[in-house]
Amino acid sequence: MTEDEFALLSAGAALGSLSEADQRAFERALDEHPEWAAVADQDAATAASLAESVGDVEPPAGVRDDILARIDAMTDAAAPGSADSGASAIGARASAVPKRPGRRRRLWFALAAALVLIAAIGVGSVITVQLGQPPGVVALHRIEGAPDAQRASARVQGGGIATLHWSTSVGKAVLVAGRMPELAQDQTFELWYVRGTSAIPAGIFHATGDSTSALLKPGLHPGDVIAVTVERDGGSPTGQPTTKPIVAIPTS
Amino acid sequence: MVIDGIDVPEDGTDPVDAAGALIQRVAAGDREAFARLYDMLSPRVFGLILRVLVDRAQSEEVLQEVFLEVWQSASRFTPKRGQGRTWLLTMAHRRAIDRVRSSQASSDRDVRAGFRDLASSPEPVAEQVEMKIESERVAEALRRLPDVQREAIALAYYGGYSQSEIAALTHTPLGTVKTRMRDGLSRLRTEMGVAQ
Repeated sequence: MTEDEFALLSAGAALGSLSEADQRAFERALDEHPEWAAVADQDAATAASLAESVGDVEPPAGVRDDILARIDAMTDAAAPGSADSGASAIGARASAVPKRPGRRRRLWFALAAALVLIAAIGVGSVITVQLGQPPGVVALHRIEGAPDAQRASARVQGGGIATLHWSTSVGKAVLVAGRMPELAQDQTFELWYVRGTSAIPAGIFHATGDSTSALLKPGLHPGDVIAVTVERDGGSPTGQPTTKPIVAIPTS
Repeated sequence: MVIDGIDVPEDGTDPVDAAGALIQRVAAGDREAFARLYDMLSPRVFGLILRVLVDRAQSEEVLQEVFLEVWQSASRFTPKRGQGRTWLLTMAHRRAIDRVRSSQASSDRDVRAGFRDLASSPEPVAEQVEMKIESERVAEALRRLPDVQREAIALAYYGGYSQSEIAALTHTPLGTVKTRMRDGLSRLRTEMGVAQ
């Protein structure tokens, strides 16, 4: 590759616009020609200036708290920011997935701030827990590792944001939520697969502090909308939602 | 005096990279430095993410992901490769683009109506826009670019479109799009007198 060809790629890289193939070629070229890093860095600086023409927007206060809570949880579980060998490649694509800590010893620890709960599958059944790792944690690991992992978010009425993580190949779905609305003693949250006009029960769960995770019962179909309603403790006695959803997340 | 995270000494000596200094302390596990970095740059980062993603709920999520990544990868920042602010904004932009590309919402975006607006002067999504000296400088520099270069850059940076998508949208050969981005970025740099 000539330096001119590299410069062409560098502009596209700085703007985040390269195809996967071109991005890889760009990164390889940077490895092979560290002397070209100056070009990439200059372009990155110019591109970053484009961010200056956008107005500042104050994020909601809760986000700051959530982030700090998550880094505190990470600090307890593992050492932060391990030192990497090699120079920082500003133009290169860094690995996008944050490290997920391993074992959970105390229930209120977060998986990246998600507190994992044992979600009851149906009324009265018992979940066996993999030693040291609640099923939601295991599921989230597997989902995130799958090539068809997806996620979608929505606001929870009376709460924060909920994100559904799922993978068709793994066949699992986990709902990770921030703050959930306060419930009465005799109430629970119930999950549903909403398909056309029908709602299929997908498990019940309770909120656990600042973050909650719930593993859905198997049976996610493409195109389902995942909904959460507030029901009587133990789940809706009719097998259908009895209240309007507090959050609905489409999976397509 | 601190302007936009850059400590500008009153006596006219070279400005210190305040954000970069904080990131290096974050790399050592300094939570206080992390909080200060967040307070300093999160409105700019959030504004950028919102501009690209539009969807508020997703933008809040990406904002969290960005700062978590900052916490975990701060040791990869090296001052001699550039400023801390650039490093952070690059990371934020990359995550916003990744999210826009992977979310279904992008396929629902009305391209025909939307992209012409993108290619003209970029509109801020913020409810309260603080037009600082720097942002006016950038907006002015963008306006001085030839239309086709500005369009290619805006579609890429603010719209999150790939070069092939831009070629299709603008009915231009891929090679032309690449050249426009290259020439446009170089010209932008000259117009703004960007210091490295």
